[in-house]
Amino acid sequence: MTQSQRRVLPETQDPDTGGFWEGARLGEIRVLECSSCGTLLHMPRAYCYRCGSWDNHWKAVAGTGRLHSWTVVEHQVHPDFPTPYTVVLVDLDAAPGARLVGYLDGAPELAVGQPMRARFENVDDDVTLPQWDPA
Amino acid sequence: MSGDDLAFRDRCAIAGIGTTDFTRNSGRSDFTLALQASLAAIEDAGLAPGEIDGIVRCDLDLVRHNDLAHVLGVRDLSYMGDVSVGGVAPSAMVGQAAAAVIAGLAKNVLVFRSLNGRSGRRYGRSSATQSKVGGNNTYDEFFAPYGLLTSGQIFALIAQRHMAEFGTKETDLAQIALTCRARANANPGAQMHDRKLTLDDYLNARMIASPLRLFDFCLETDGACAVVVTSAERAKDSPNPPALIRAVSQGAMLDPQPGVQFPVLMRDTITTLPAKATADKLYSRAGMGPSDIDVAQFYDCFSITVLLQLEDFGFCAKGEGGPFVSSGEIDMGGTIPINTSGGHLSDGYVHGMSHVVEAVRQIRGTSTSQVPGAQTCLVTSTPLPPGSALILRAS
Repeated sequence: MTQSQRRVLPETQDPDTGGFWEGARLGEIRVLECSSCGTLLHMPRAYCYRCGSWDNHWKAVAGTGRLHSWTVVEHQVHPDFPTPYTVVLVDLDAAPGARLVGYLDGAPELAVGQPMRARFENVDDDVTLPQWDPA
Repeated sequence: MSGDDLAFRDRCAIAGIGTTDFTRNSGRSDFTLALQASLAAIEDAGLAPGEIDGIVRCDLDLVRHNDLAHVLGVRDLSYMGDVSVGGVAPSAMVGQAAAAVIAGLAKNVLVFRSLNGRSGRRYGRSSATQSKVGGNNTYDEFFAPYGLLTSGQIFALIAQRHMAEFGTKETDLAQIALTCRARANANPGAQMHDRKLTLDDYLNARMIASPLRLFDFCLETDGACAVVVTSAERAKDSPNPPALIRAVSQGAMLDPQPGVQFPVLMRDTITTLPAKATADKLYSRAGMGPSDIDVAQFYDCFSITVLLQLEDFGFCAKGEGGPFVSSGEIDMGGTIPINTSGGHLSDGYVHGMSHVVEAVRQIRGTSTSQVPGAQTCLVTSTPLPPGSALILRAS
């Protein structure tokens, strides 16, 4: 099954996280940053826990990272995700402290720390899923 | 040590314990299970049901305070508490009950957890059924669309990372599963009582989410557990030896991350649990350290969860959990015998509450894997995202 046939799609209009998905549609990996003190707000939240500011902005960063961890799922728990497939957890190079999740078909050879590169999977007009491939 | 610690320490006790049978299909409602465990605990405490005047429940339970109060004939329900979230709750539920007793809000507080976790709502299945997932501060939109759907998959990512950082082996995780199984083999009430488990069985079992195999996962279970918390003074009159509540703590990490569970993968480290903060506070409140603990019931939704907590609760250094468990330290006769009923891995998954019951058995000297002369027992409720824990001791 390809990604586009899947029914589990992200809510893209949430006030706190919608900017991430708007960026994805434009082919950008975005993180939320405090406009006052520069703290990375990940997961995205409107309030800066460091300085108390409500001012923030989405920042496009490079679509490169390192593999933090991964798992090959072999026991199916959802009809839209036949096994095996692999879930990757990626540390963004350009935004220390930010991690994103990706989906890979099958069970590719992987190693913690290896370079990963973003790929943008257009599912429909609303949803583009940033994915992560071995670089 | 502060005055606050002394205001709590040993002031209350667990005077009664009760459980249902643990099965794959109870054929009973969550409410009936809760009632059966509650009646057993109240009788065990030497009380009449109507003498209960406080009830503490878990936020994920389907059974409410008034459901139980009605059928128990509680005339004056004076205290109702809810603790979140899920498996993080049980130790804190006991703590909340004790705090209510100390504050004079209630005298005899029933604490329960009931779930048809196998025949009803299974936590091992995905609940992502809508066309759009996430939003509203759940952050599920960053996880479910990528097939990251269950707690087991979260802990698989954590286990893989622990292996990469510290060289932890699959045979280390196996030792946790095998140890719990051996305890279940001695416990006639355990679901896996009659089923031996060997290292070959473990390694040959199917992979669920690498590196976690079938026997790294707990047993989704139908069942209920309950305890009665009262003052240490009143507990002296109960039929069984009271298990004094030495200390209770709740803890979270700095930057705990929002959401129910998946965003914990965004923390600086995923190989340290909130167990660390919970443990430090617990030991301080108890005036005790790991070396004072005779036996422990570790929250074991998965084998790796136990390994992380052994480190975070100070039984070994961070990263050394693998060699620690593989050298037999968690077995009977080891430094810290664990999960003496078989735990969630081999007795039954009653979401942390069965660990409280087994801890009381150890203090009473009635466990089917009794640690000789056990004076103290640690209970952990520290999966994700925050945690709680308690220490019981003999009077």
